[in-house]
Formats: sequence, C-alpha cells, structure tokens
Amino acid sequence: MSPSTSNRTPPAPRPRDITVVLPVTSPHAELDQVVASLSEQFTRMGKDWEFALVFDGVRGDAWRKAEELRARLGDRILTIAFEKPFGESVCLSAGAEISGGRVIVTSPQYVQIDPVEVRRMLEQIEAGADMVAPWRNPRVDPWLNRLQSASFNWLMRKINGGQIHDLNCYLRVFKREVLADVSVYGDMYRFLPLIAQRQGFRVVEAQVRHLKEWGKAGFFGVGVYIRRFLDVLGVVFLTRFTLKPLRFFGSVGLVLTVFGGGLLAGVIYQKFAFGEGLYNRPLFLLALMLFVLGVQVIGFGLVGEIIIYTQARNLREYRIERAWDDDAGDEERS
Amino acid sequence: MRSAPQVSVVVPVFNEEDSVPILYEEVRAALDGAGHSFELILVDDHSTDTSLAKMLELRRRDSRVKVLHFRRNYGQTAAMSAGFERARGRVVVTLDGDLQNDPADIPRMLAKIDEGFDIVAGWRKARKDGFVLRRAPSQVANRLIAWVTDTPIHDTGCTLKAFRAQLVKNLPIYAEQHRFLPAMSRGSGARVAEIVVNHRARRFGYSKYGLERALRVLLDLFVIKLISQFAHRPLHYFGLFSLPFAALALVVLVTGVVDYEKFDLIADWPQYSVTAFLLFLLPAVHFVLLGLLAELIVIASGFHRRSVLDSLVNRR
Repeated sequence: MSPSTSNRTPPAPRPRDITVVLPVTSPHAELDQVVASLSEQFTRMGKDWEFALVFDGVRGDAWRKAEELRARLGDRILTIAFEKPFGESVCLSAGAEISGGRVIVTSPQYVQIDPVEVRRMLEQIEAGADMVAPWRNPRVDPWLNRLQSASFNWLMRKINGGQIHDLNCYLRVFKREVLADVSVYGDMYRFLPLIAQRQGFRVVEAQVRHLKEWGKAGFFGVGVYIRRFLDVLGVVFLTRFTLKPLRFFGSVGLVLTVFGGGLLAGVIYQKFAFGEGLYNRPLFLLALMLFVLGVQVIGFGLVGEIIIYTQARNLREYRIERAWDDDAGDEERS
Repeated sequence: MRSAPQVSVVVPVFNEEDSVPILYEEVRAALDGAGHSFELILVDDHSTDTSLAKMLELRRRDSRVKVLHFRRNYGQTAAMSAGFERARGRVVVTLDGDLQNDPADIPRMLAKIDEGFDIVAGWRKARKDGFVLRRAPSQVANRLIAWVTDTPIHDTGCTLKAFRAQLVKNLPIYAEQHRFLPAMSRGSGARVAEIVVNHRARRFGYSKYGLERALRVLLDLFVIKLISQFAHRPLHYFGLFSLPFAALALVVLVTGVVDYEKFDLIADWPQYSVTAFLLFLLPAVHFVLLGLLAELIVIASGFHRRSVLDSLVNRR
C-alpha cells in the first residue's frame, strides 16, 4: 500500500476547529459544491476549517477539481490518493491522520444533506455531545430504498438496543477523541455511531433535511445483502463479546445442545419404553446432529477464550471518563 | 507524590449515594485504628444518582480517597479491574459499595496476608439475604465452583477479599470473573485462605443482582477451568471433551455393526448406525483439532514462558 500523496513531505497537521474528511469514490464527485456549501457554513460560524479529500482508488474529473480547489484554497485542502480502493474506514483513518481538526465531519461526496443542518450538528457537539449522527427524515429517495434502509435500521436497533435511526447516512460530526477509542476497519464505517455509543461516548441524533441521493435505486445484488448480514453479525459480536467469546458461542451452542439433548433423551426413552429401534429413526440422527453441532460451537468459543486470554491480556473493557486519583489534591485529568 | 500506602481498598460503586459516606467512615475507622496507611479507590460505574458528587466531596476532605468515573456502566468486574490497575498498595482489598460487607474485618484479613497467604477470601457464613433468590443459587454455584476448580472456598461471591498486589496485577479479569480470582490464582500457585466475615442486611437501595446470572456463571466456569489449569496445555482440556464422543462412537460401532450371535460383523452395515458412528466421531476429531489450534495460539503468544513470573508471586 503506497498511497501517493500530493504533499511529498506532509507537515505536522495544523490544529483547526473542523476537518471534513471526504472519501472520494467516484470520478464525478461534486467536490466544488460540497466544499463551497460546507465552508460557507463554517465561515459563518467563525470556525477555522479544512477538507481532507481522500481519493479511494479513483482520480478522473474529481482529481482535477481537487487540484483546482487546492490552487484556490491552499492548505485548507489536503488530498490523499490511494492507488486502489480500501474502503471508507481506511479513508477516515488516513484523513484523520493528516488533518488537525478538533472536530471531524465525515461527508459524502455530494451535497446529500442541507448544509445548514451541519451547523446545527456542530452546535450539538458544542453543547456536549461526542458524536452527532444524522437521521434523514423525511427522505427523498425511492420508497423501495427507504423500506430496505428502514428495515435494516430497525433490525439494528432490535439487535443492539441502540436508538440510532439511520446508519446509512455518512454525514457525521464527532470529536477527534472518538477515533482514539473506536477503531473502524473494513465495512465497520457504517456502524461508527453504534460502536461509539457502545464505548460510552454520548451519541445524539439530529433529524436532517435530505436533499438528494446518489445511490442505486431498487434492489442491490445478492452479494450486498449477504455482506450486510455478515457485517451485522460481526459488529454485534465485536461490540458485545470481544472479551467474552464463550458467552456468544456458548449461548448458541447450549441452545443447540439442550434442544438436541432433549430430543435424544426422548428417542432413547422410547426405545426402552416401547422397544422402538434407535438406529432406524431419522429423529435420532437429527437429535444427534443438533447435539454434536452445539458441542462443536461451544468448542469454538473455548478457542476464542484462549485467544483473548493469551493475546489480549491488556485489553480494557472499560473506559474511564475522568480520574481524580492524584495524591496532592484535586488536580483533574480526563 | 506521597509514598505508596500499605493497603488499597477498591470499591465499585453503582448508585449508592447513601452508603458511600458511611463506607468511607467505616474504612477509615477500621484502618486508621489498626495503624495501616491506606488509599480508598472508589470506582463510579456511571451512577445515575448523586454518588459521584458524594465521592468527590469525600475526596475534598481526604486526599486518600481516589475517584474513578466510568464513561458508561460497565459492571462490577470492570470497576474492579480499573481499581486494581490504579492501586498502589502492597495489598489490595475489594469491598462492596452497599455496606453489606463490614470494613472492620479488613485488619484480620491483612493479618492473614502477613501470615503468608496470597489471597484471603471472605466467607459470609451468616448471610443476610433472601434464601430463594440469593442464598440457594449461590450455594449451588459455590459447590460447583469449588468442585470444578478444586479450590476449597465456601463463598466465592463475597466481594470482601484481600489480595497480594502483584497477584491482581498479573491476572486478567474480565467478564464476571472476579468471583473466580482465587481459583484462577491457584493455577499459578497462590496460597488461598478463608476467614468468616460479618455480613449485614442491606440498608439502602436494592440489590443489583438477578437470577439470570446463573447461565453466565456456568459458561464462565468452563473458561476458568481452562485458564486456571490448562492454559499451558490446552490440548489436554480439549481432549477431555473429545473422549466421551470417541467412547460413544466406539459404543455405536460395537452395538451397530457386530453380530453377536455369529461373533462377526453384520453382513450389510445398517446405514443409520454408520451415520451415528460418524456423527460421534466428528466432535471427537473436532476437539482434538481445536486443541491443537489452541496449542498453536498459546505458543504464538509467548504466554507459556510467562508462567515463571507468575510463580514468583508466592515469594514472601
């Protein structure tokens, strides 16, 4: 991985109020409009701002636009380009690394949300929130997309017990500290608010006005749904069971084992009570199969525990918000 | 920085605004009275009442009070880990925030540590809790834990325990395993003692425990067994799981395909018995393979070498 940066020797990030990290995944990205509309709001708020444009394996028109912006706005525009796509999570960490904003805004590559809303979101950060997640309401995309998105979000709320209504909108505003404790990789970008919430950050939601949507209308390919399902599984597992894998595997395994064991007991009872042969009954094999499956699932959990015990002895399951533990007196640190 | 205190008292606190000031007075009375220097580490597990304010007020009066405030509610075990990590005393004492434990027992525990024990566990012989919901399940759990882990402790759930400090610094505690600390330390050769402690009825608030923990304790037990006795030879542990299945496979084989009247194999092997045999064989093989995988993980972590460090804990 050798991302060719246009700044050959990047200087130390200059501290700013706001960094907008903008992953560019299409050569037709409307960078001009995004930069113009957002920066106008920032300037009006009297904030010092910059944009980190992360080109995720694309160049084309967008790259030309970025060059123009750089010529015009100088060091307020930072650009990174990857030779091949790494996904939004990598874009975010790369963008955050080269930038110096105390507050990070992640933005889609077109004006998806009314820019005025970003201002309101920033105000919520100033009011004490660690992250503000957008909730497009009402939405302007086709009803089929809305239905799919709504059911996905509903499912996530049910599974994870969070209160986030819209995980599919990426216009998020958060403090830089959030990234230190929330590591995102792969497709986890989508779940950033959930993971942050799980880590104990104050995540609030803001209803925002939806202007337009670039995404594909209608159904996606089968692969998309499968990947999405696996993501959900992964995020549930990692946010809740990283330190106690057996709680996860064990619960699944015990259900199977108990169910299979119950059936097995029934079949064996019938053999001795009524003399029904054991081996010629499909139910016997089914029961056995379930039992064995359950036991094997538990086995995986035990290996998980070994991994955690030996490799992650220093993994913390808690985050201290504030400590008053000096000997001297009330010197506070966070 | 002042010199390190002799004793660090770690107290997880969750919504105990009424108890905290009394707790402080009792700890102070007990330890000052016995002439032990101490620090009191109050870990606020993101209380929703005025507990944190009460703690900070105590800290203003006495800088030996240390306060840690969690970002959200992480549970008692996490609170203890945080306290252990910040503890600077030679001995670490854990205590419940709800006043059910009596701090007056601490000096006796410290005396036991001075006798050369690494862990002193409290035993609430006369518990002041409801029988059906609290005492009965707890007794079953204790018997089970004592039997499985081979650690003769009557009351693993009692929060009042004293530890030699190196011990808790070396042990990972996660999930709900604080109750298993003695069993886990036995794995590295710690000497465990038990004393009967005073137990008082709850004065304020309500219990934060429920019955649904039973299942989790059961699952944790598997882990504790694995970690305390087999961390250096996981293959043996997985082998224990493998054995019964291998035996069953053998039974199926013998009863299914041998014709006892002719003392020969059955001419046509019945399909179902062959399938059953395979099904039993599957986990038997599976567990051996998982065990090998576990060995690989242990080797790769370099963890097997660290046992030498752990054994030093026993030195006075």
